[in-house]
Amino acid sequence: MDKNFFTIFKTFFKVGTLLLGGGYVILPLLTSELVDKKGWITSDELCEYYALSTSLPGIIAANTAIFTGKKLLGAKGAIAAILGVTMPAFIAIILIASILSEITNIQSINYIFWGVGIGVIALLFFAVREMWNKCVTDKFSGIIYTICLILALSGKISPAIIVIFALIAGLADQFIKDRRLKND
Amino acid sequence: MIKLYLLLFAQFFHIGVFSFGGGYATLPFLYHIADKYYWFSQSQLTDMIAISSITPGPIGVNMATFSGFTTAGILGALIATSAIMIPSFIFVSVVYNILDKFKTNKYVISAVKSLKPAGCAMLSAVGIKLLFTSNLHLIGILCLIAFLISGFYKKQDPIFYLGISAIFGLIIGHLQWIGV
Repeated sequence: MDKNFFTIFKTFFKVGTLLLGGGYVILPLLTSELVDKKGWITSDELCEYYALSTSLPGIIAANTAIFTGKKLLGAKGAIAAILGVTMPAFIAIILIASILSEITNIQSINYIFWGVGIGVIALLFFAVREMWNKCVTDKFSGIIYTICLILALSGKISPAIIVIFALIAGLADQFIKDRRLKND
Repeated sequence: MIKLYLLLFAQFFHIGVFSFGGGYATLPFLYHIADKYYWFSQSQLTDMIAISSITPGPIGVNMATFSGFTTAGILGALIATSAIMIPSFIFVSVVYNILDKFKTNKYVISAVKSLKPAGCAMLSAVGIKLLFTSNLHLIGILCLIAFLISGFYKKQDPIFYLGISAIFGLIIGHLQWIGV
């Protein structure tokens, strides 16, 4: 298939529709669409974009879409990809949110949402465990985790401040290691 | 109204700049916004997470659209969703041109190594706060413990936990065991 704005948009729209849950699922979906079916990009490139996307701020699936779109057709491709991957989510949520305000006065719906609140907390803790396994791997990351947890629990500190603290701590750690190497 | 749109844009732009770790990483920011601006309540956010977990699209996009819509209608949804995406666009465009240098730079590697545990810690804090602020009752806490224990052995799809807890809520609610 030809690589143009519309075909890229269409491909990512399909991926966005199939994407359920976390953005992690985007890698297998994109591999099936772009590598296997269309041959637009290699699997290695895609994996690299995904890995980089997890190291950048923002929504991982969106970052991956922008990287891939850019590779396919420059800035135009990036815009097509991001529009495509976002639009199904946008439409679905607008529809549900519009209905939601109409039905919350039904008592059964309130019971359901009370119950679902339990499921949400379980999902949060599963996500925490998954992230923990990936990123808290040594003493340094353990210390960062503990300090940030205390900061986040202690009150109304903005999450952005905590992120900036972690950024500075990470850079300082590397800086100190460099200095030690130089002195030895 | 214009002021609300601008504030909405600024808030979601700043989430796009500072959230690390994907998926649920935007949640600590959204709970902070709920605390500060009262655009939506904490319990509304919990409902949104449930719905976002079972609708198409990345959860981060779903949450941005949902909270933008709740705050200021369709235009609000459009503003919030684009605002959270613009930083991504800028970051990716810059990194794309210096790909190899970025990948191997030891300061980048070290910063990322520290930012991810921070994202994880903030999400843990959201979970812990929700435990104490949600109106779970004893029966809800027992259900949660059952989910956690079973999930740590074998994790199911999100829809499994949400489905079961929805039915659970419906039954418990109609039995009048809780005052919802």
